[in-house]
Amino acid sequence: MRTFILRRVLQTIPLLLGISALTFLLIRLAPGDLLSDLSLNPSVSPATLAGLRHRFGLDQPWYVQYGLYLKNVFLRLDFGESFSRHQPVFAVLREGLFNTLLLASSAAAVTWGLAIPLGVIAAVRQHGAADRILSVLAFAWLSVPEVLSGLLLLFLAARTGWFPVGGMHSIDWDELSVGGRAIDLVRHLALPALVTGLVPLASRMRQMRGALLDVLRLEYVTTARAKGLPEWSVVMKHALRNALNPLITLFGYTLGALVSGSFVAEIVFGWPGLGRITYEALTSRDPYLVVGAVMMAAVVLVIGNLIADLLLAAADPRIAHE
Amino acid sequence: MSHTKCGAVGVAAVLLGVALAGCGGGGAVRSAYVDHIPLPADTMTFVADEIGRYGGRFVIGATSGPKTLNPVMGNESSSTDVMNLLFTSLADYDNGRQVDLPVFAKRWDVSADGLTWTFHLRHGACFSDGHPMTSEDVTFSFAVAADSSLHSPLRDVLTVGERMLEISAPDPYTVVVKSPEVSAVLLAAIGSIRILPRHVLEPRWKAGEFASSYSAAIAPESLVTSGPWRLKSQTPGEKVVLERNPYWFGVDAAGHRLPYLDELVFLIVPDQNTASLKFQAGEIDGLDNVKPEDYTSYEKGQQAGHYKLYDLGPSLNTNCLWFNLARVRVAARGRKVGAPVVDPVRYAWFSDARFRRAVSCAIDRDGMIRSVLFGFGVKNWSLQTPGNKQWYDPSVVGPDHDPDTSRRLLAEMGLKDRNGDGVLEDSGGHPVSFTLKTNADNNVRVQMTNFIKDDLAKVGVRVVPAPVEFRALVNNVREDHQYEAALLGFSTAIPPDPGMSGNVYRSAGATHWWNSMQPRPETEAEARIDELFARNVGTLDVAERHRTAAEIGRIWNEQALTVWLPSVVMKLPVSDRFGNVHPTPIPHRLLWNIDRVYVKPPARGA
Repeated sequence: MRTFILRRVLQTIPLLLGISALTFLLIRLAPGDLLSDLSLNPSVSPATLAGLRHRFGLDQPWYVQYGLYLKNVFLRLDFGESFSRHQPVFAVLREGLFNTLLLASSAAAVTWGLAIPLGVIAAVRQHGAADRILSVLAFAWLSVPEVLSGLLLLFLAARTGWFPVGGMHSIDWDELSVGGRAIDLVRHLALPALVTGLVPLASRMRQMRGALLDVLRLEYVTTARAKGLPEWSVVMKHALRNALNPLITLFGYTLGALVSGSFVAEIVFGWPGLGRITYEALTSRDPYLVVGAVMMAAVVLVIGNLIADLLLAAADPRIAHE
Repeated sequence: MSHTKCGAVGVAAVLLGVALAGCGGGGAVRSAYVDHIPLPADTMTFVADEIGRYGGRFVIGATSGPKTLNPVMGNESSSTDVMNLLFTSLADYDNGRQVDLPVFAKRWDVSADGLTWTFHLRHGACFSDGHPMTSEDVTFSFAVAADSSLHSPLRDVLTVGERMLEISAPDPYTVVVKSPEVSAVLLAAIGSIRILPRHVLEPRWKAGEFASSYSAAIAPESLVTSGPWRLKSQTPGEKVVLERNPYWFGVDAAGHRLPYLDELVFLIVPDQNTASLKFQAGEIDGLDNVKPEDYTSYEKGQQAGHYKLYDLGPSLNTNCLWFNLARVRVAARGRKVGAPVVDPVRYAWFSDARFRRAVSCAIDRDGMIRSVLFGFGVKNWSLQTPGNKQWYDPSVVGPDHDPDTSRRLLAEMGLKDRNGDGVLEDSGGHPVSFTLKTNADNNVRVQMTNFIKDDLAKVGVRVVPAPVEFRALVNNVREDHQYEAALLGFSTAIPPDPGMSGNVYRSAGATHWWNSMQPRPETEAEARIDELFARNVGTLDVAERHRTAAEIGRIWNEQALTVWLPSVVMKLPVSDRFGNVHPTPIPHRLLWNIDRVYVKPPARGA
């Protein structure tokens, strides 16, 4: 097991190298740069622009800049500076990481908290009215783009006042009691978590339904029923446990997509997470910040996949990672 | 030099303050601030409609938080909007009256030759930590701005001709600035330098850490400010909260220290649409950007929404289109130096003033105002729009809508419809067409390109509108010149003085977009404008400056260097709970007088 983990970690290194090189290349290929806005300002001289370009290394070809970046990363664990903010990249990203993880885990809770019970209902009442209604609703939601559903919910929030219009905290956050803060945070979390969490719901629910149906057809279930066990106990105690096995792997992969999955909701709802930082970094062409954000998302993805594999081994003794 | 420490706080005064706060009337405003720091010897009285009262909070939306709080390092508006409130300067610009405003300098004298400016500073002014503000802080602030290793754009502002301004401080309350040449916009240059606390930042500067000092991540108590506000708290990506600087030297007409508000909050919102939703939900108190298409619905919702839609008058920002007249400066890929960058056939049309005038005459600006700007627009013919109180000159007008003149000019150039397809051709049979690029994120501009396409089709010129991403367009216009015509605009300089636009007017200027950084003026008209601009900015005689500015405008329009398009009339909604609200078309539109804005007492019986 230890060698397996070690091997996976080592495999990550060329992956991250490839991702960072590609990101560097792409951001340099995009027209315009960090100083485009400044260059529109009539009071800024070409000499100043050239000086700034030189200071940021934007006058170098991308591979020279990339080489320099790698050198700093390996020798000094220095991931560069956000040029637009004059702050180390890591300090900027740290601000957003926690918020993104909070949103993403709430979204995952929405997905799984609904997918498992609804999938079970759909399987038990196969081809029944509940099964059909749930399928139609889940697929309808799946077909609405996140941006649109997000904007519609924002509009609803503005019209009804039931929920705040985006953001993470109320203005009065600092004056709230602990309980008040918890309620405030949940109110702000609800809509973006719903938008992000309901997207994968349809497929997760169908997977739960399918897995449970497979198991319900097995002979040991028939045996359990024949023994006269109540149906409730047959489904929940005997069938569901085995049916969850493939879903555990899926859950691990969901962890990997945690960070990238909530980007759209973050931007629409103004959630102060990695997604917004990455988006701003992209629009302002802040090279190291973009690379840093992409790398961070990649690292979370790799860790998520690793956890998925480990969970699989833990859940199913037949699988062993040497 | 000996200074007494500012603000010896009387214990009795503090106790009295608490007692008064305790028996305050309550209502919408929670705190009743009591100013217990003695006013400085030289207060500065700010004019306002009404005497306000302390307390309350104003929330404004911002699409991005400040990237830095260091005024020497930051230059984009998300940072300057906040920094301009945190740091004051010797002189500022009064957006309301559109005149220069003495601030930390209470007055100044100019020598007879116009080269030596002596600024007399306010006595007793203090930074937000109570440390006295003196001429040493001014010279320090100028020195960091001029530090070439920091590459601050402010360094360019401090350069007149080829040389830097010289600054000295003969005593703690006097600053002398010597300019190598007479400059009509010297005060603007000096005013753009924000006063920084030398006692805090000089050690950082000497240690080579200035660029990362006062970063956006700073702890609020470490940020020593010189302006009316100081930093109270901030949550990255969410909000920035400012509170009053208790030592600020600004007072109202009754002698109460400003600002009135307890808090000013910049709430970070993803975009203008969300800001507008938040405004309607009452989470934001005012919007600083509203599209003309929404004016009518805001007008109707005033009563129910408890806000007022203010009419700011014409914007000072312009819209115009120009043709690419750039020439190859560095030989590359078979291109000779001096050859036009665009296709030579098109260059022949673009470089002909008759063609540019014909394009200008083809555009129905009244129709454009009606359809694109929903009636909320004005015609504009120069960099100084009708919203410019000091410099707008109604005698400067350009070639307006006249399709017959347009057709006549095109015919004079030998452009005729030779094959009956409705599009003109030149003698070589090339159809007269060009692509018109604009930035795709600006809806008004995209609609303007479509409008122009239809109008030019009527005189036989084919236009292909091409909306592109903003940075890509800037790159096209500024770096690689890969465009035929572009529709953009010039944002107003502050102050909106023609002398501030040298890089647009001068043929050698970097933002003389259609043909920038010419080693020598390529046309007679541009040579003449260069000369007139030098005269305009090289004198302090205002009447003479008006004459030269008008002459520049006349030549510009005769040549149609740019084809001017209408400017928008601005309207902004602000919650009706606030008094002394006076939005202006010059940025920051809402916050320029936020130190005087106050929460009105709730109306009786409401």
